[in-house]
Amino acid sequence: MQVWTKLFAKSPFKPLIKHAEVVIQTVETLEKALQAWHDGNAEEMERLAIEVDRLEDVADRIKEEIRDSLSSKLMMAVSREDVLIYLHMQDKVADSAEDTAKWLLVKSPCEIPTEIKDVILQMGTESIKAAKLVYEAIVQMDRVIESGFAENEIAREYELIRAIEDVESKIDGLDTKLMKLVFENADKLDWGTGFCILNIARTISNISDKAKDAAERIRLMMNK
Amino acid sequence: MDPWLLITILLGFAMAWAIGANDAANSMSTAVGAKAITPKQAVVIAGVLEFTGAYFFGKSVTETIRKGILDPSRITDPNVLIYGSIAALLAATIWLIIATKFGLPVSTTHSIIGGIAGYGIVYAGTSIVNWGKMTQVVLSWILSPIVGAIMAYLVFKALTRSIFMSKNPVKNARVWSPFWIGLAFVVIGTMFYIKVLHGKDLKAGVLFYGIPAGFLVFLITYALIRLRFPINDPYIGVESIFRRVQVITSGYVALAHGANDVANAIGPVAAVYAVASMGMAGMKVPVPRWILALGGLGIAVGVATYGYRVMETVGKKITELTNTRGFTIDFSAATVVLFASWLGMPISTTHTVVGAVVGVGLARGIKAINTSILKDIVISWFVTVPVAGLISAVIFKVLMLVG
Repeated sequence: MQVWTKLFAKSPFKPLIKHAEVVIQTVETLEKALQAWHDGNAEEMERLAIEVDRLEDVADRIKEEIRDSLSSKLMMAVSREDVLIYLHMQDKVADSAEDTAKWLLVKSPCEIPTEIKDVILQMGTESIKAAKLVYEAIVQMDRVIESGFAENEIAREYELIRAIEDVESKIDGLDTKLMKLVFENADKLDWGTGFCILNIARTISNISDKAKDAAERIRLMMNK
Repeated sequence: MDPWLLITILLGFAMAWAIGANDAANSMSTAVGAKAITPKQAVVIAGVLEFTGAYFFGKSVTETIRKGILDPSRITDPNVLIYGSIAALLAATIWLIIATKFGLPVSTTHSIIGGIAGYGIVYAGTSIVNWGKMTQVVLSWILSPIVGAIMAYLVFKALTRSIFMSKNPVKNARVWSPFWIGLAFVVIGTMFYIKVLHGKDLKAGVLFYGIPAGFLVFLITYALIRLRFPINDPYIGVESIFRRVQVITSGYVALAHGANDVANAIGPVAAVYAVASMGMAGMKVPVPRWILALGGLGIAVGVATYGYRVMETVGKKITELTNTRGFTIDFSAATVVLFASWLGMPISTTHTVVGAVVGVGLARGIKAINTSILKDIVISWFVTVPVAGLISAVIFKVLMLVG
């Protein structure tokens, strides 16, 4: 075995980007499931929700592989701890999408006011933006390292981080709006449906929360 | 032909083979790893240029004792020189083959020095060893990787700052890539004068070889990039420029390596040849052309038979080394080796290259370096001289008893 081949370890960034791609797929599939839920297409919704679960498993497997490859004996351009925490957060984005899918599956669809459904669908659509921005941010991080931490590349990374934060705060706004709507429509909903809707909203907003946490880690990676 | 001379020739060839297998492959590793050349091309380039370096630019006169590590005036019996040379060659070859087997990049110069010190101590005690020289060798273990690391750190920072840190990286790449490539050729031109033509005056080397070569290359590259910058993405564009440059720098490393390190294999052969043909050897002995050819051929065969496998593994396994990083490592190592040669320090190219890799890593230029392997490398450096010395001492003792 040649020493040169052992001296250069594999960069974690390509697998991290691969993981981010699977995370996007998971959130995109969730949004399709929400669309089916919105349209009252139970069969299609169920199929897509199960697909979300499968994709989350794929993301988990990639996460394990990355974790196993990151030995403590590596000298990296960014700290190992930051990479691991970032990976954990990025994976949480897919986990949150899976949690939402579970809430879609546990309760059979019933009559829900359209305005509530619209807000939930909007939250799903915005979440895709968050997942895509996380993907862009990790690709950009690879470029930051490629450039030797050039300021213009770092500036571009900060723009992406800010964009993730904007999406997160927009979803927070939608979440608040939804909670109000649920209580305004309390007389039209049974407690179980209300409970389910609020949990769907909570898990969807977790998607962008975790995306923001991941972005926060990238900020730390660049600062060291 | 004297049977001892025949044995020495065979051993010299074996040592040259081991140099080709271990050292030559190491010097091409960054180019192969950064995908500037394929393993097949590396073998052809290394084979041809190592031989060219050895045959046309290898020293026509060599010391009987490499680097003056022993006091030759204390060796009065010509047989001692014969047995000692055989013991040193065999010991260095054995150690190099072991190191190659485990994939450790050890210095061939240090192996042969260890072998020579080993037989010297057995023959005349520790006082025969020039400890001042030995201290220099030990210092070079510590200094060459450290200086290589510092140099690579600074070069990497400067290179990225000049190209990628601007508002317009593509525009900067057009001007600064030729500058860095030109600067590399200042070093290459000067190294050619010192290492290949064995010139002594650094100033003359820089003025008459380095600067003209660098300036000419700067103009050519500038014009070529002006005509056609590969692509508008500065990263891909700059990488593709440096990929072409790495082909030249790696070829140059092979040439200088052949010219320089062939002496490790054929120095002892020349010493034995002098004893066999003239009865006794002085401090320096002439090296016949056929012995140089033998060394060059041995290195080329070593590259083709074993070095090829090494480079194939490198080409497959290293996926993360980009051309700007590869260039930084080659350029820094070559510059450090140039200065060390000029100062007369027995610095090791291999050690400097490893140091340069770490230097780029410290500058956050390499995404991941395995630090656990560094320990193995450093240990192998420290054991090279004692192990080669010990093996040589045993072989010498046996030869003295049976000879």
